[in-house]
Amino acid sequence: MEHTYQYLWILSFVTLPVPMLIGIGLLLFPVSTKKLHRIWAFPSVLLLSIVMVFSTDLFIQQINSSSIYQYVWSWTINNDFSLEFGYLIDPLTSILLILITTVGILVLVYSDSYMSHDQGYLRFFVYMSFFNTSMLGLVTSSNLIQIYIFWELVGMCSYLLIGFWFTRPSVSNACQKAFVTNRVGDFGLLLGILGLYWLTGSFEFQDLFEIFNNLISNNDNEVHFLFVTLCAFLLFSGAIAKSAQFPLHVWLPDAMEGPTPISALIHAATMVAAGIFLVARLLPLFVVIPYIMKLIALIGIITVLLGATLAFAQKDIKRGLAYSTMSQLGYMMLALGMGSYRAALFHLITHAYSKALLFLGSGSIIHSMEGIVGYSPDKSQNMVLMGGLTKHVPITKIAFLLGTLSLCGIPPLACFWSKDEILNDSLSYSPIFAIIAFSTAGLTAFYMFRVYLLTFEGHLNIYFQNYNGKKNSAFYSISLWGKQRSKMLKRKMRLLPLLTINNNERASFFCFFWKKIYQTGGTVRRMTCPFITINHFGTKRIFSYPQESDNTILFPMLVLVLFTLFIGAIGIPFNQFNQEEMNLDILSKLLIPTLSLLHQNQNESVDWYEFVTNSTFSVSIAYLGIFIASSLYKPIYSSLQNLKFLNLVAKKGPKRILWDKIINVIYDWSYNRGYIDVFYAISLTEGIRRLAELTSFFDRRVIDGITNGVGFTSFFAGEGIKYVGGGRISFYLLLYLFYVLIFLLISSSIFSSFSFL
Amino acid sequence: MNSFPWLTVLVVLPIFAGSLIFVFPHRGNKVIRWYTILICVLELLLMTYAFSYYFQLDDPLIQLTESYQWINFFDFYWRLGIDGLSIGPILLTGFITTLATLAARPITRDSRLFHFLMLAMYSGQIGLFSSQNLLLFFIMWELELIPVYLLLAMWGGKQRLYSATKFILYTAGSSVFLLMGALGIAFYASNEPTFNFETSANQSYPVTLEILFYIGFLIAFAVKSPIIPLHTWLPDTHGEAHYSTCMLLAGILLKMGAYGLVRINMELLSHAHSIFSSWLIIVGAIQIIYAASTSSGQKNLKKRIAYSSVSHMGFTIIGICSISDMGLNGAILQIISHGFIGAGLFFLSGTSYDRIRLVYLDEMGGMATLMPKIFMMFSILSLASLALPGMSGFFAELVVFFGIITAKKYFLMPKILITFGAAVGTILTPIYLLSMLRQMFYGYKLLNATNSYFFDSGPRELFVSIAILLPVISIGIYPDFVFSLSVDKVEAILSNFFYS
Repeated sequence: MEHTYQYLWILSFVTLPVPMLIGIGLLLFPVSTKKLHRIWAFPSVLLLSIVMVFSTDLFIQQINSSSIYQYVWSWTINNDFSLEFGYLIDPLTSILLILITTVGILVLVYSDSYMSHDQGYLRFFVYMSFFNTSMLGLVTSSNLIQIYIFWELVGMCSYLLIGFWFTRPSVSNACQKAFVTNRVGDFGLLLGILGLYWLTGSFEFQDLFEIFNNLISNNDNEVHFLFVTLCAFLLFSGAIAKSAQFPLHVWLPDAMEGPTPISALIHAATMVAAGIFLVARLLPLFVVIPYIMKLIALIGIITVLLGATLAFAQKDIKRGLAYSTMSQLGYMMLALGMGSYRAALFHLITHAYSKALLFLGSGSIIHSMEGIVGYSPDKSQNMVLMGGLTKHVPITKIAFLLGTLSLCGIPPLACFWSKDEILNDSLSYSPIFAIIAFSTAGLTAFYMFRVYLLTFEGHLNIYFQNYNGKKNSAFYSISLWGKQRSKMLKRKMRLLPLLTINNNERASFFCFFWKKIYQTGGTVRRMTCPFITINHFGTKRIFSYPQESDNTILFPMLVLVLFTLFIGAIGIPFNQFNQEEMNLDILSKLLIPTLSLLHQNQNESVDWYEFVTNSTFSVSIAYLGIFIASSLYKPIYSSLQNLKFLNLVAKKGPKRILWDKIINVIYDWSYNRGYIDVFYAISLTEGIRRLAELTSFFDRRVIDGITNGVGFTSFFAGEGIKYVGGGRISFYLLLYLFYVLIFLLISSSIFSSFSFL
Repeated sequence: MNSFPWLTVLVVLPIFAGSLIFVFPHRGNKVIRWYTILICVLELLLMTYAFSYYFQLDDPLIQLTESYQWINFFDFYWRLGIDGLSIGPILLTGFITTLATLAARPITRDSRLFHFLMLAMYSGQIGLFSSQNLLLFFIMWELELIPVYLLLAMWGGKQRLYSATKFILYTAGSSVFLLMGALGIAFYASNEPTFNFETSANQSYPVTLEILFYIGFLIAFAVKSPIIPLHTWLPDTHGEAHYSTCMLLAGILLKMGAYGLVRINMELLSHAHSIFSSWLIIVGAIQIIYAASTSSGQKNLKKRIAYSSVSHMGFTIIGICSISDMGLNGAILQIISHGFIGAGLFFLSGTSYDRIRLVYLDEMGGMATLMPKIFMMFSILSLASLALPGMSGFFAELVVFFGIITAKKYFLMPKILITFGAAVGTILTPIYLLSMLRQMFYGYKLLNATNSYFFDSGPRELFVSIAILLPVISIGIYPDFVFSLSVDKVEAILSNFFYS
C-alpha cells in the first residue's frame, strides 16, 4: 500500500486540468470552447470521481490502520530558508477528502442543470473545479505555508464565485466584502504563522507541536507566554474569518448572492469548514494554552446564539440558511474549544451533508420560482412570495423536510447524533454554555421550521396580492414575524426607527386579514378561510405554478438525502452490548491517533441511560421549537389550534404590549442583522474612506503642495528677476545709486561706531 | 572565458539600430514598427543566449566583464559586467521593453522619434544595470531621463507638460546628489579618481563622510524608487504618460532606484547602511500603509495603480533594510515581480482607456460583459498584485516578511511593529484593487452607448498580457527561477554586514 501513498500528491492536482483547459480555451478560442458547452461538465465530474475513489480507498485504509503519512519535497533552494511542499494523510484529512469529493461531485452534477442556461456556464465550471483543486490541496497540506497558500486560493475562488453574476451591484459589493473580510482573517493567520516560525523555526505540523510543547513546558517566561498566546490567537483569527465566526461573520450572508450550488458547496459544506479544519489541525497547539481554548469556546457560543437569532427574520431563504450555517459552525467551534475533537468533526460531517441538501433544495425551489416571479433574487429567493410549494414540488419538499429535521436534531437523522454529542459535552464543560447551547437547539428548530413552513405550507403567496387590492405596496411586505407582527404594526409601535421604510410598506395581506378578524370576532374567522380558498380556486387557471425541477437537479438531492439519513451511523457505537472491546464506532476508531496526541481520555463506555435522558431533553427542546414555529407560521386557514393559541396571547391586555415590545426588539435586531453590519459600515468602512480621503488630500496639498510651491516661487522669482533685468538704463542707474547709498550708509555707520570706540 | 564583448553589444545595439530609423525612407509607420520590434526581439534573444552560455549562476563575482579605457585624462573606463544582482533586472528590461514596443503599435504620431526613444531607453537601462563604473552608472542614469522626458512631453495626456516638467525637475535635481556622491567616492583617499565599483567596495570611509555619501545617494534613489515623501512625481507621470511608456516606467525605471540602493548604498557604504536601515525600514512600513490608503482615495485609474506601485515598492525597501538573507532575496524578487505586474496593470488600464476614453473610476462601470477578456486579465493581474498565492507577488512579500522575522539586527518589538505595519498593507491592498475592479467592470451601467464601440482584446493585446502573466505565475509557482540568480550574490553582499 506504500505505493498508493507515494503518488498521492497527484490527488489534489487531478482536477486541475479542467479549469486550465477551459480557461485557456475561453481566452484563446472562445467560440469553439463555448460550442462544446455541457460536454465540459463531464471531465470535471469524472476527474473528481477518480479523486473520490482514491480517497475512499484511503479512508478504508485509515480505518484499518490509523497512521499518518507524510511526504515532503523541497520547494526552494535558498540556503537557510527551505520551503517544503508535501502532503499529509491522516484521519482528519481522509475524512475531509471524502466530504469534499462527495459533495463536490453532487454539486457539479446539480449545477450542470442549474446553470445550463447561464451565459457563464463554462466560467462557472472553471471556478468550481479550481475551487475543488484548492480545497483538496488545503486539506492535504503538510505545513502552514501550504495551508496559507491554499487558504487564500479558496478565498479567491469564493470571491470569484460570489461575484459570478457581476452585473448586479449588490453582488459586486458582496464579493468585495467577502474577500476583504477574509483578508482580515488571513492577515492574522499570516502574522500567526510568522510568529510561530520565529518561535519554533518550523512550519511542519509535527515539529511545530513538539517544539511548541517543549517551549510551553520548559519556559515560564511571562513575555514569552504572552507572545505565544498572541500567536495562537492570530492563527485562530484566520479560522474566525473563514468559518464566519462572530466578529467577522458579516461576509457569509452576503455571500449568498452567488449561485446556489456555490452556496451549497463553498458556503455551507467545504470552505467554511476550512476554519474548523484549521483549528482541528492545530488543536494540539491550542490545547496547551487554556486561554485560547476558552476563547475558542466563547467565540463558538457567541456565534451559535448570534447566528440563530439573526436567522429569525430573514426574508431571503438563502440568507436564513446562511445564518443557520454560521450558527452550526459555532457549534463546531464550541466543541473544539471544549476539547471534544471527535464531536466537532462528527458535526462537521453531518452538518455538511444536511446543509448541502438544504441549499440544493432551496436552489431547486428558487429554480422553480424563477419562472414565475422573475430572475431577481429579491423575488425568487424571497420567502414572502413562496408558500404552498408542497403541491408543486413534492420531491424537493421531502428532501428539504428531511434536511430541516436533520438540522433540528430529530433522532434518526444525521445531525441529531453529532449535535447531541456536543450538547452533552457542553453540560460537563460549563452550565452557562450548556444553557445557551441547549436553548439554541430549540431556536434552530424554530427558525428552520419557520423557513420550511413559509416555503412549503399554505398557498403560493405571490398571488395573494390580488385579494387585498393593493398591488403596489403588498409585494414585499407580508410580515414574516407571524401574524402578530402585522397587528403590532397597525398600532404603530415603533421602538427603533431604523427601518421605517420597511414598515411603511407593510400594508399587507395579513393586516387586512387581521383587521377583519378583530372587527368581526370569532365566528367570522372560520368563514374567512373558505372565502380565501374559494377565491384561490377561482383564479387558479390564470396563474402558472412552479414546476418540479428536472432529474439532474433532483438526483444529487436524493443522494444527499441518503447521506443525511445514514451518515450518522459512522458515529454511533453499534456493537455496544455485544463485546466489551469492540465498542468503538468508525469515527472514534479513525481518530484514535489524533485523540491520543491530544492526551484525551475518551469516555470509553457511553452510558446508554444517560444518553437517552440527555437526548430526550434536547429532542424535546427541538420539538418545542418546531411547535412554536408551526403555531406562528402555520397558515391561518388550515389550523384552528393556532388561532386559539394566539387568542390566548391576545387576551392579556397590558402584558401583551410588553410582549409585542419584546418581539419588536427581537425582530428589529434580527432583521437588521444585529446592527453589526451597520456598525461596521459606519465605523470601519467610513473610517477607511475618511483615511483615504485624508491621506490623498495630504498627499496632494501638502507633499505635492510643497513641490508646486517651490516651483511657483522659483517661477515668480524668475519673473521678478526678469523684470529687474529688463534692459532699461534708467532702472540700472536707479539700482546703482540705491546700492551706493546703502553702502555709504552702512560704511558710515561702521566708521562712526569705530570712532566712538 | 569568451572574448566577445557581449555586454557592449547589448548596450550599443538598440541605440545604434534606433538611430538608423532616421535614415529610413518614408514607407509609412509599419516598417518602423516592425523594425523596432525586430530589434527588441533580437536584443532579447542575444541577451538570453549570452547569459545562458556564459553566465555561471553559482559564481557571486562579476562576470562577462569588459573594460576599455575611455578617457585617459582621468582614468575613466567603459567597464561593464553583470552579477546575480543585475542579471534579473536586465532580463526584465529586455522582456518588458519588447512588450512595450509591441504595446505601442497604435501610436502613429511621430513614430520615428517615438521608436528611436524607446530603443534609446532600452540601451540606457541595460547600460545602467550592467555598468561597473560609478561615472558610467551616472551617465546611464542621465541618459535614461531624456527619452522619458520626451516620451512624456510629446505622447502624454492632457497635462503632459506639467508632468514632464515635474519629472525632469525631480529626477534631474536628484541626480545632482548622485553626481556629488559619485565624485566624492571617486576622489576620496587617492590622488587620481577611481570610479570602479570593485575597488570602491573595499574602501572604508570615516563615518561622517560615509553618512554624507549615503544621504546623497539615498536622495537620488529615493526619488527614483520612490520613497515617501519624494514620490509625488510618480502618480502625475504615470497618469499622463502613454501606456507603453508607463510600462517602462513602472516595470523598469522604478527598479533602477531599488537596484541603486542595493548596488551602491548597500554594497559600497555598508556601515552607513546599517545605521540608516533601521530608519529606512520604518519609512518603508509607513510607505506601504500611506500609499495604499492614498491609493484608495484616488479616482483616476492610472493614479490608483501608480500609488499601488509606490505601496509595493515599500516591500522592497523593507527587504533591503532588513539586512538579512531572505529579506534581500525577497526585495530582489519583489523588484522582478512588480516589474511584471505593474507593467501588466498599466498596459491593461491603457488598453481599456483606449476603448472607453474615461479616466475616472466613478464614471466607469459595467465593462465586464463588453470586454470579457480584458476583465479576465485585469482580474488576474489585480489578484497577482494583491499577493495572491501562486503568483509572484505573494512569494516576494512572504519572503520579505520572513526577512524581517529572521533579521538579526532588530529586536522583537520593532520586528513585530514593522511586520504588523507591512501586514496592514495586505489588508488595504485588496480594498483599493478590488474596488477598482468593482467600479470598472461590475454593475450594469451602460456607457454612452451611441458613440462608444468596444472591441475585446485583439490577438496582439492578448499576447502581451499573457506574456506578462506567464512569468508572474511561473515565478509564483517556482520562485527559484529568480532565487537561483540572486542567492549567491546576496550572500556575498551580506557578508559585509557582520554584527558583533
